[in-house]
Amino acid sequence: MPMIHMRNVCKVYEDTGAVALDHVDVDIAKGEFVFIVGASGAGKSTFIKMLFREELPSSGELIVNGHDVVNMERSEVPYLRRGLGVIFQDYRLLADKTVFENVAFAMQVIEAPRRTMQRSVNAVLDVVGLRDKYRSFPSQLSGGEQQRVAIARAIVNSPSIVIADEPTGNLDPETSWDIMDIFHRINQSGTTIVMATHDKNIVDTMQRRVIAIEDGKIVRDEARGVYGYEA
Amino acid sequence: MKLRTIEYFLQEVWRSLRRNNWMTFASVGTVAVSLFVLGVFLILVMNMNRMAGMLESQVQISVYLQDGLKEGRREMLQDEIEHMQGIESVKFVDRDEAKTRLAERLGDQQYLLDALGDKNPLPDAFEVTVKQPDMVETAAKSISQFEGVEEAKYGQDVVEHLFDITRLMRVFGLLLMVLLAGATLFIISNTIRLTVFARRKEIAIMKYVGATDWFIRWPFLLEGIVMGCLGGLLAALALRSFYGAMTAKIYDTLAFFPLLPQYPFMNYVTIGILLAGMFIGAVGSGVSLKRFLKV
Repeated sequence: MPMIHMRNVCKVYEDTGAVALDHVDVDIAKGEFVFIVGASGAGKSTFIKMLFREELPSSGELIVNGHDVVNMERSEVPYLRRGLGVIFQDYRLLADKTVFENVAFAMQVIEAPRRTMQRSVNAVLDVVGLRDKYRSFPSQLSGGEQQRVAIARAIVNSPSIVIADEPTGNLDPETSWDIMDIFHRINQSGTTIVMATHDKNIVDTMQRRVIAIEDGKIVRDEARGVYGYEA
Repeated sequence: MKLRTIEYFLQEVWRSLRRNNWMTFASVGTVAVSLFVLGVFLILVMNMNRMAGMLESQVQISVYLQDGLKEGRREMLQDEIEHMQGIESVKFVDRDEAKTRLAERLGDQQYLLDALGDKNPLPDAFEVTVKQPDMVETAAKSISQFEGVEEAKYGQDVVEHLFDITRLMRVFGLLLMVLLAGATLFIISNTIRLTVFARRKEIAIMKYVGATDWFIRWPFLLEGIVMGCLGGLLAALALRSFYGAMTAKIYDTLAFFPLLPQYPFMNYVTIGILLAGMFIGAVGSGVSLKRFLKV
């Protein structure tokens, strides 16, 4: 069973009637590193949001990490999300919490045992290289550092899949590469990574699987792909 | 639920109550005022009910007997009354029992009885119950003519008046209650809405990392309950001193007025008011969560 399994997935936004996804078929296996590319409004965001059930498919079949996203009870949604780590372009850190607290927050709200919290948070802060800044507040960090905190928060509960929506969108090229390096290491530990991006340089250099979406359809799916659009 | 989680919830509630301090103050204040007014009505209605109930049980005719009546004559008298038309029952109440009853009625004012020492100024009596209320008057008149009867008393019309007033108070109180409850709900739900708004980023993150709906809801619900409870506490404290002052004032002028004794009555009122506050708080924040917290 693949980590992510989409069959005939369609998404029509009822209020506007806009077709965001049009009969999409995709399988993503455990441990893959996948870029989702395409112009703004092509359906990338919808694709990403469906994976953590921020949006529901209008029709079709969607299995994520063994959860039937379409037919699941509302009360099961948190358990789907506990197996996923989500990262956004705008970091979404809590300004009144320190680096440590921001990461620990993700463990706290799923009622993870307190004993393991300190150790797990320190471990992921090591992964993103921010152990020494654990007492800083987000406002005292650079954009790249803030994104690293967000990544630490996303992986602290050991998710099977990391989903990143334009994680380098607000960062300069050099900082972006630091972030990609972290993603690369997370991927090497066996975690599946799905990342929507506009960054041609990154996609072309990394040479990973590329899924291109245009007008809600998958127009290209290559194992070692390139960005394919003008940057 | 884990202890650690409860600790977290309480921290969140405390943080949020402080962050919205003015709204918190307004909410607690509104709850307090509303529950105080509610409590005043409750106290008045309960006391009037008691009074009416007391007088109503006196729709029975109290037949007081002359002092020193022989037992034989007393039994004959009882027999005579029992055989009158329209009489349901005749019960003999000796003076000792009458004194015990008076002691019950006096409530907080036992000292009035203590002043008598061992003396008992009360007469022996019959409690005569008639079959229909409209027979009270004629029956009382006839009975008072019997030999050995000192006096025959009844209190029907007072009761009627009292019931009218109680009914009016109940309706008015209920109406006021509905209005106040509405206002209270509104202000609590508004405060919770502000909290939800202030914490929307946190809520979003909680959802993304897989917090359950109830984990997200609980702090808000608790916040409402705490506000309601605080308001209830203020109201209850105010009501206790209100009732204390009221009873003191009334006893000053009307010594035998049958008020409900302060304890345990006010303890029940306190518990009731606290529960009502918590309930309103929970419902108020529930309303807000339903509308503004899309989990």
